[in-house]
Amino acid sequence: MTVTDPCKGAELGLQAYLDRTLTPDEVSMIEVHLGECSYCRDRYHFEAKLRDTVRTVCCGDPVPEGLVDRVRLHCRDCG
Amino acid sequence: MFVGADSVTGVTEREGNRVADPTMASAADARDRVRFEDDALAHADQLYRIALRLTGSTQSAEELVQETYLRAFRSWRSYATGTNLAAWLATILRNIYLDEARRQSRRPVIESLDEQGDYYLYNHLAETAKEPQEAVLNRLAGGAIVDSLADVPPTFREVIVLVDVGGFSYKDAAEILDVPVGTVMSRLHRGRRLLKQALAERTREEKE
Repeated sequence: MTVTDPCKGAELGLQAYLDRTLTPDEVSMIEVHLGECSYCRDRYHFEAKLRDTVRTVCCGDPVPEGLVDRVRLHCRDCG
Repeated sequence: MFVGADSVTGVTEREGNRVADPTMASAADARDRVRFEDDALAHADQLYRIALRLTGSTQSAEELVQETYLRAFRSWRSYATGTNLAAWLATILRNIYLDEARRQSRRPVIESLDEQGDYYLYNHLAETAKEPQEAVLNRLAGGAIVDSLADVPPTFREVIVLVDVGGFSYKDAAEILDVPVGTVMSRLHRGRRLLKQALAERTREEKE
């Protein structure tokens, strides 16, 4: 990362950090910064929480009862 | 509603390619087919949730899932055993969805939106909300997140849906979408930023 403002650099690296696609050097650079900057730390925590929330909400969508039976029926009728 | 969609299933149709002699080979074939159907149907919940977030309606989602299985069962021989069955099914589902979107001329487009940085939602909440940001998130959870996801343009939404809802790896998502892994990641990053902007909009509306 070639950004001189470390907070800007942390913001640019946030998604790749959470995706675990950074190099070990980049990871340690960000972690050193997060260790000393509560501004960025709060925002990293928030982003991780947001991802969890999106995943939990959407994966909790109820699946209609009898879906598989209706699929089988549909495929028998049309297949 | 999805019945009769143009056949862009991403799989090779091999109907009529049946074994001519209905003896032991066909009995084994029938067993394979039953096993294939059972294996495929084990992914019904996962496919339904993807379909729900793509179409936005429970009825369309169920129709999309039914049509996906219909095509999958018809072309089951083109599935290469040992490869990712869920990803194979998701590819069919997504192609049917795109066909339908095209027929209704809702062709997914990349919309140009002013894009904010990754701290945008947090900063917005920090300026406007009277409660801690994570508390806002807990309160927003549910309806607002689903609605905000629906606000994200389809090109970006489908990547979020495949990765976060479908649980597919970037590599699988790249195969399903037929784009390079780098494209999956850039669309995912952009989609996540757009989702945060949509959420910020919702908290703004909430206050008004």
